[in-house]
Amino acid sequence: MRVSLFIPCTVDIFMPDIGAAVFSLLKRLGCEVVYHQEQTCCGQAHFNAGRRKDAAKLARRFISIFEHDDNIVCPSGSCVYMVKKHYPELFGGDVRWLKRAKRLGERVFELSEFIVSRLGIKDTDARFNGKVAYHESCHLLRGLGVTGYAKELISRVNGAQVVPLAGADSCCGFGGEFSNNYPEISGALVSDKVKNFIASGADVIILSEPGCLLNIMGYLHRHHPDKKAMHIANFLASQ
Amino acid sequence: MVKRAGTFIETARKEMANPLSQAFLSVLPPGFAVMKQLSMSSFPDPAAAIELSKAIRQETLTRLPELLEEFEENALSNGARVFWAGDSAAANEYILNLCREKGAAFVTKGKSMITEETGLNSALEEGGIEVFETDLGEFITQQMGRPPFHIVGPAINIPAAEISEIFLEKGIISEPSNDAVALGKSVRAYLRDRFKSVKVGITGINMAVSSSGAIINVENEGNIRLTKSSPETLVAVMSIEKVVPDMNDALHILRILCRHCVGQKISGYVTIDTGPAKQSELDGPKELHIIILDNGRSEIYRDSLTRQALKCIRCGACLNICPVYSKIGGYPYGFAYSGPMGQMLNPLFLGFHRTKDLFSACTLCGACRDACPAGIDHPGLFLYYRSLIAENADQKEKALYASAAAAMQSGLAWRLGIKTARAILNRNARDGYVSSISGIKKGWFSNRDLPEIAKKTFHELWKELNRKDT
Repeated sequence: MRVSLFIPCTVDIFMPDIGAAVFSLLKRLGCEVVYHQEQTCCGQAHFNAGRRKDAAKLARRFISIFEHDDNIVCPSGSCVYMVKKHYPELFGGDVRWLKRAKRLGERVFELSEFIVSRLGIKDTDARFNGKVAYHESCHLLRGLGVTGYAKELISRVNGAQVVPLAGADSCCGFGGEFSNNYPEISGALVSDKVKNFIASGADVIILSEPGCLLNIMGYLHRHHPDKKAMHIANFLASQ
Repeated sequence: MVKRAGTFIETARKEMANPLSQAFLSVLPPGFAVMKQLSMSSFPDPAAAIELSKAIRQETLTRLPELLEEFEENALSNGARVFWAGDSAAANEYILNLCREKGAAFVTKGKSMITEETGLNSALEEGGIEVFETDLGEFITQQMGRPPFHIVGPAINIPAAEISEIFLEKGIISEPSNDAVALGKSVRAYLRDRFKSVKVGITGINMAVSSSGAIINVENEGNIRLTKSSPETLVAVMSIEKVVPDMNDALHILRILCRHCVGQKISGYVTIDTGPAKQSELDGPKELHIIILDNGRSEIYRDSLTRQALKCIRCGACLNICPVYSKIGGYPYGFAYSGPMGQMLNPLFLGFHRTKDLFSACTLCGACRDACPAGIDHPGLFLYYRSLIAENADQKEKALYASAAAAMQSGLAWRLGIKTARAILNRNARDGYVSSISGIKKGWFSNRDLPEIAKKTFHELWKELNRKDT
């Protein structure tokens, strides 16, 4: 199956290893992988800041780049949510763009959702030795409602022991600008998340969202450098 | 109600440093959320029950003008008097005049959010009418001059010792006591004395039934019941969205409301009043005045997006699940409503610019949307509010987003921008992470280190990956 990579700007700039992991994982699962080099950002940050005119420009650009692809795969629930749910909101009065946005939205998939629901693969033949906990990223869990796929894939990784995480479904407190503008509240939330992670006894916390990863990984790096956070793409790519 | 909009961050900081507030927040809201789940499981099909409540609220919204007219017609024919109040001032003035006309030196009040919204207590007190809140929590917060901490438990965070102190000062008790039951009993005795001679009682309305003109109140302490039955004149205040089409709808919303509030299948007391006492009836008020308050809601209704805010049934389920509320409690929201409910409603009443923090301080996690039995998309509304004020935003912020968007419009400019940023930002990096930018440890860097800009972006890496592959 031919797959077009939709790489979030945070991955492109700060965590390209996630993109590389998505690439090698999808190759391993038999996909032909393409990457449109002109892609920049889906416009989520602009949209969330209320800057809808800017977001609409970026949305039109994104649609023009990706609309000829059948399968567009992204390692971020919130970026997928942006395209599927918020793009149509940007084109309320513009029927042609609205139609294009909706048609594109149907072909955009979050990584774990794509692997299980489109490729029909539940076992990615990954190997990892250790205890892992799974953090439920809000946009996968409540936004897209596709969190089950990620958990299915993680549960089948050879050698990995999945341990329960208290408060797995509560927000880690990132929220993009939120964590910058309200650092005390954000700090309290990520601190709770990390406390629960440490109490779970897991070696690694796995998640499906670059935003949550920046937040949790960054907090761990400062306060608990012995503990690790990992994107599900890297986890499933490991052998 | 003192409007303290604009002090969100300061109040939030204070509350986060208050161990009592923190102790309460870590226990009660999650407790309510668990009890909600348990009580919802008593429905044969909980999901269908939620779908029905959402449908009722949607129908109410769609037919709002006609339902209100029908309600008025039926309430009038039941013998009630109906006053349409355009705003808080009009509602307060009507009530004050009525109190004067009836020669009331004081009023008793049932717990109501709507009179918090209108600031009725201070309006009456300025007019020389003493006000007695009769809900225990509301009574305590009234004595202390504090806003509600939680919609269901307005004073639940206030320790007994502090309550004892203020009760002594106000002459409600004569001996200090830290026993919650004794304190509660003293309020009960204190208020019973007031009920004996009260001329005007004031309540809110949980639901107004359009097809019969009945008004419904839900409570657990029985004081709304006393406020409704003791005086000769009863004033019941409702906002326009409190109406439901018929009694079946009302009873279903009642089931959902009680479960979502505190996990009860039904509250301790439910009072349904259809007009004032009839001639053959022994008790009940001789006059029932129903105030239908707009207070900006027609404008809210006119906008097809903000309209959904009027679906809210004030159950508080969104507070109990909100991560932000769980850290800061009810005070920072600065007005009658707190949590996601307040983030949604307060800006509509107070204006978007004054309340920017309310809809900005949201991680967009969607827990409130999932918990809402009325079908409101709170985060969607917050994003919409953000867009409404974006055009007038801070010039610096505006320029930042505009230039980023411009760069993102051109792949080449974007790549060049990243390279420039890398040269500047990575100077601060140590072992791959940045702890501050130019010594600034605020914002993103307050709690965490962030990765440096990658030596090779994915875009740059792709060329290698692809080459290796082919």
